[in-house]
Amino acid sequence: MASTSKDSVPDGDKVAGNLGDDLEPGACSDSILNPEDSFEEFASELTPNLQERNILTAKSSTISEIQSEIGECSQLHGTKSSDNLQSKDESISASTSSSNLLEQNGDEADDKDDYLHSPELVNKEKHVFILSSAGKPIYSRYGNEDKLAGLCGVIQALVSVVEEQNQDILRSISTKDCKVVFLMKGPLILVAVSKSNESETQLVMQLTYAFNQIVSVLTLTQLNRIFEQRRNYDLRRLLSGAERLIDHLLIFMEKDPAFLLGAVRCLPLPEKSRENITNAITSTCNKIRDLVFAILLAGNQLITLVRMKKYTLHPSDIHLLFNLVRSSESFKTAESWTPICLPKFDATGFLHGHVSYISEDCQACLLLLTVQRDAFFPLSQAKHTIADKLRRSNCLVAINDALNRNKELPTTNPLKHIGIPEIRHFMYKCKSTAQLFTSDPICLDKLQDYRLRHKEGGDITEKKITKLSDIEHVRKYRKFCSQIHCTSTPAKLIFRSNSDDTILAWITNGFELYVTFDALMEKDQAIRAIDRLLHWIKREEERIFIMNAPTF
Amino acid sequence: MSESYEYLFKFLIIGSAGTGKSSLLNNFLGNKFKEDRCHTIGVEFGSKIINIGGKSTKLQIWDTAGQERFRSVTRSYYRGAAGALLVYDVTSRDSFNALSNWLRDARTLASPNIVILLVGNKKDLEGSREVTFTEASQFAQENELMFLETSARTGENVEEAFLKCSKTILAKIETGELDPERIGSGIQYGTGTSKKLAAPKKPVKPPSDCACNV
Repeated sequence: MASTSKDSVPDGDKVAGNLGDDLEPGACSDSILNPEDSFEEFASELTPNLQERNILTAKSSTISEIQSEIGECSQLHGTKSSDNLQSKDESISASTSSSNLLEQNGDEADDKDDYLHSPELVNKEKHVFILSSAGKPIYSRYGNEDKLAGLCGVIQALVSVVEEQNQDILRSISTKDCKVVFLMKGPLILVAVSKSNESETQLVMQLTYAFNQIVSVLTLTQLNRIFEQRRNYDLRRLLSGAERLIDHLLIFMEKDPAFLLGAVRCLPLPEKSRENITNAITSTCNKIRDLVFAILLAGNQLITLVRMKKYTLHPSDIHLLFNLVRSSESFKTAESWTPICLPKFDATGFLHGHVSYISEDCQACLLLLTVQRDAFFPLSQAKHTIADKLRRSNCLVAINDALNRNKELPTTNPLKHIGIPEIRHFMYKCKSTAQLFTSDPICLDKLQDYRLRHKEGGDITEKKITKLSDIEHVRKYRKFCSQIHCTSTPAKLIFRSNSDDTILAWITNGFELYVTFDALMEKDQAIRAIDRLLHWIKREEERIFIMNAPTF
Repeated sequence: MSESYEYLFKFLIIGSAGTGKSSLLNNFLGNKFKEDRCHTIGVEFGSKIINIGGKSTKLQIWDTAGQERFRSVTRSYYRGAAGALLVYDVTSRDSFNALSNWLRDARTLASPNIVILLVGNKKDLEGSREVTFTEASQFAQENELMFLETSARTGENVEEAFLKCSKTILAKIETGELDPERIGSGIQYGTGTSKKLAAPKKPVKPPSDCACNV
């Protein structure tokens, strides 16, 4: 039994009326995050024309803008950390991918054909391949890139045939049970092969994130220059050690609803605690002139973000920072000083980050991002000052309580406190602030467990999972998310009730809501439950969300 | 951390990716060895105060990333370093063969007086050894480097590596070969020492005449 969106709209309006006098939960006048709509961006990736494809230069450099405002432009002329290629690289062979293929003898070809059919590759539900426009393998989610050189040659041939003969761009290939999505980004070709229920737009989003992860490590400027100078360059040399970042990113993109919705989770904290944390950072850093962002995060969740006036961060850049911290154990044992490119903020150059965990007994990580590459010691001193302030004001205890899912906190198990037993799961996104809240915040233990299990797998599985969490609900919501954001026939409300469960997806100007109910719920009953849910989120919004946008 | 010290030495750890540079730093700082360590991103900073010849000395250690893409970042740390551990992996012929490149960077970018100790790490993996002690010792001699083999996993010779390097730096200071006052020496007087008001005289008499009072 399914209802069309037309039938549902009147009921939606009725519910909206109840909230008419209030802003939607989580909304506030300022936002630390840039809420620019991710869906429109990814959908537009599906329609660029051929000439625009190769132009990937940012229109202006945000980092240069900050430097000129500070008035140290002449001093910082050399700040951008783009490497020039070593002269020894001139000796690299200029042979093309196609000639490499021709050179293979029959035995080698047979071996590689066997490899392409090996269980190691065939059993996976999802593949991601990244290659250069010359057909050289750069990254593969599974398997050995060297053994995939032939496959990369085929991919490159497909792309170039469509481009040269048809003056067109290869977007996707679909079979009965499999979907192949192509994304061309300057000198790189990214391909996702999926047997899951993800839509083309969702797969393009994931490939875009993978591309942005590479930009984050290299900068777009350097990436473009490398391939301008040497089309056949083996990018794996520069990406050595970064495969881990891409691996982790791909794992979590499939599971964490923050990626699906283009939003950021915040660690629920008492309003006073978050205020104290923000004040500790602001009072310590307000005299450090080159500092652009100070970010405190924990467990894939944002605790606070303090920024230079005028500048905000896009959720996808925050996701890359989460990925950086999550993928690196080393930040726990030492202070790090590292170049970081945030592609949405400025794809052309590096910010320089002091990255360190706030304390041995608190799993919160502080990132201090500056345009000044020689600012390590002032930032190191600032970090220690902030840590002392947080300890004295008991903020570390509040953070640990939230991270350890203290059972007394209402946001640890929202369904229990809301008192609506028919709701099994929900996820709520406030659109104006790009912040996300779900009924089952992913805790550190679960992430770790998932990571360990995932090492063994990635295989297609028929297992029946008895208790679903965010990780499993995201799979169900993908289809609804895709339908509700469909550019040709967008829906505002989708309601589907069957013997397994009842799912409602609702999008308004202010928020996006996905709810899973018990099976065979009636629509009226569901609408009343949602009304109560929204009121509860509104009541708890000061704890759940970051309700202001502090600056230095 | 307000412990006082007489000298501060700036140290580098350099070498190919995967040779165990970060594990050496972690072991020296007292952290547990981790088997599956991810690559260093950028540079990592640690510090520790040790006692050398009766003098309290703070080592300020920069652990650099070995990957090629971080070269431009890590090179900016060569200038002003007093000492460097040049690390290779005894089980990796490639990392030993790359030493010439790392050494060239150090000779080109660092102070000419920098003290360099060649470190053959992963000594505990004797069964996988690809570089003999003798061969590495000869390389060290030819390039005027000190040499030690270590194991960051077992801790063998890790502290000794830093001590050996530091003692050599201290000896150079006492003979006047290294001048702490000179910019770029990588050495600073510490919080426990009052700086000499007058310009320091170079010693013309035996070292025993040097007066270093706290």
